Amino acid sequence: MRLMWIAWAFFRSALQQELAYRADFFGNVLRSVIAVGTSIGGLAVVFSHTESLGDWNLAQTLTLLGVFYVIQGVVAMFMSPSLNKIVEEVRDGTFDYILVKPVPSQFIASTRRFVLWHVTDIALGAGIIAIGLGRLGSGLSAGGVLLFLGMIAAGIAIVYAIWLTLTTLVFWFVRIENVTMIFNLFYETGRYPVEIYPFWLRQALTFVFPVAFITTVPAQAITGRELTWLMWAAPIVGVIAVIAASVFWRVGIRRYSSASS
Amino acid sequence: MLAGTVALTKAELANLFQYRIVMFLYALWEVVNPIVYLVVWSLVAGDGEVGGYRRGDFMMYYLVFMLVSHLTVAIEVYTFAPLIQQGKLSPRLLRPMHPSWSAAATNIAYKTVSLIMLVPVWIALFLILRPPFQGDLIGILLFVPAISMAVLISFLAGSAFAMLAFWTTKSFSFWEIWMSLLFLFGGQVAPVAVLPDLARALAIGMPFRYALGFPVEVVLGRLEPAELLTGFALQGAWTIVAAVVFALVWRAGIRRYSAVGA
Repeated sequence: MRLMWIAWAFFRSALQQELAYRADFFGNVLRSVIAVGTSIGGLAVVFSHTESLGDWNLAQTLTLLGVFYVIQGVVAMFMSPSLNKIVEEVRDGTFDYILVKPVPSQFIASTRRFVLWHVTDIALGAGIIAIGLGRLGSGLSAGGVLLFLGMIAAGIAIVYAIWLTLTTLVFWFVRIENVTMIFNLFYETGRYPVEIYPFWLRQALTFVFPVAFITTVPAQAITGRELTWLMWAAPIVGVIAVIAASVFWRVGIRRYSSASS
Repeated sequence: MLAGTVALTKAELANLFQYRIVMFLYALWEVVNPIVYLVVWSLVAGDGEVGGYRRGDFMMYYLVFMLVSHLTVAIEVYTFAPLIQQGKLSPRLLRPMHPSWSAAATNIAYKTVSLIMLVPVWIALFLILRPPFQGDLIGILLFVPAISMAVLISFLAGSAFAMLAFWTTKSFSFWEIWMSLLFLFGGQVAPVAVLPDLARALAIGMPFRYALGFPVEVVLGRLEPAELLTGFALQGAWTIVAAVVFALVWRAGIRRYSAVGA
């Protein structure tokens, strides 16, 4: 409960900062709209030559693209601002200030900063999902929506575990400023369903770097595609990944020896 | 100028080799996206033909595209804009050469280092996919001016966007808009010939194709003589436009520049 209050306080201060620069906000919205617009344009180009892509039709692929942007927005809003800061702080030794706070270090390291305007990415993503589902026109069941939300939550948990793990590497390799770019590299493949990739790549994107669980699985859940075993695995993978990443974080901070020593 | 740029490039090279892994990650970025579209279009083409491209043609297109996109990518928004924002441009203004020469040195050094790391990846992909190469000597000869102008357009445009930092702290946002359009009209999401009619007409008129996809089409011999002619004419025209815009933005910007603390 106390942690919730702390997170809320961080959130409020981020909101105040954002409101101080309203012109920036509109610039950022414009840029998101154009980025999302061109990538929908890209899908339109692909589907002007085909009815389906690896058994996914336009409406389903569009929904998947929406999921892609929702999760990307969540990362950019809640995860990357705080976690990227850690890398900087470990190098400068100011990470000390995190450790001395009477709150679990992983909590404060993950919730300190928010970049609120990315809420537009989430909203645009949700809009695309709505359009995709509208075009699909196959009605939604309460169970389907619930399953979808569960899969999104599992996807976000997996993304968080990946980000935390990559960030934790900083305790061993101090100079890895852009290590979290590794996430973006793989995530880029999540714009399309994992089924389209050749066998070995599909395996890698399911078991090694599980992009499949992040975008494909939630989109499968909501577009009424056949339920695969991946859906049952997603929550389990999510929980295990977050626990493993937290353990890794603890091992990591034990290695931390501040800047002067 | 040239000797100075060479010296600066050497210094930048030494600098960059320290950050090999980061460089490699940046460079991989230019591999992953083409792979996604290579996969998508191979699937769409199947055993047939899309806009004159068969499956193997798409593979070849995106493999060459990887190299071209790497050679043309503009990094000035990351390297040059921070100099303006942090007031670090001042010492460079004292050098007896335009600061963009040193930006060019950074650009060349980055591409050299990451190319060394990219080439093995590229060869591996080539051996795995074994696409049919169907270029000819003329295509390869014409590739030289095409890629040179593409690099120039990218660099000049990238620098002009970076110089928006003289006015705004958000030059990066404008750059992302350019990148989005590059994605759609530059031959990234699909070869220009594969785009729907309206988009294709737009792509042929706008600068994006000439900063990215055009050299790929040229070296693979995908263009008719008439298309080559209009292509080169437009590419030349856009190069001039980019140079003029670059010069105008620089002249207006430098007047606004007052280093931090001044």
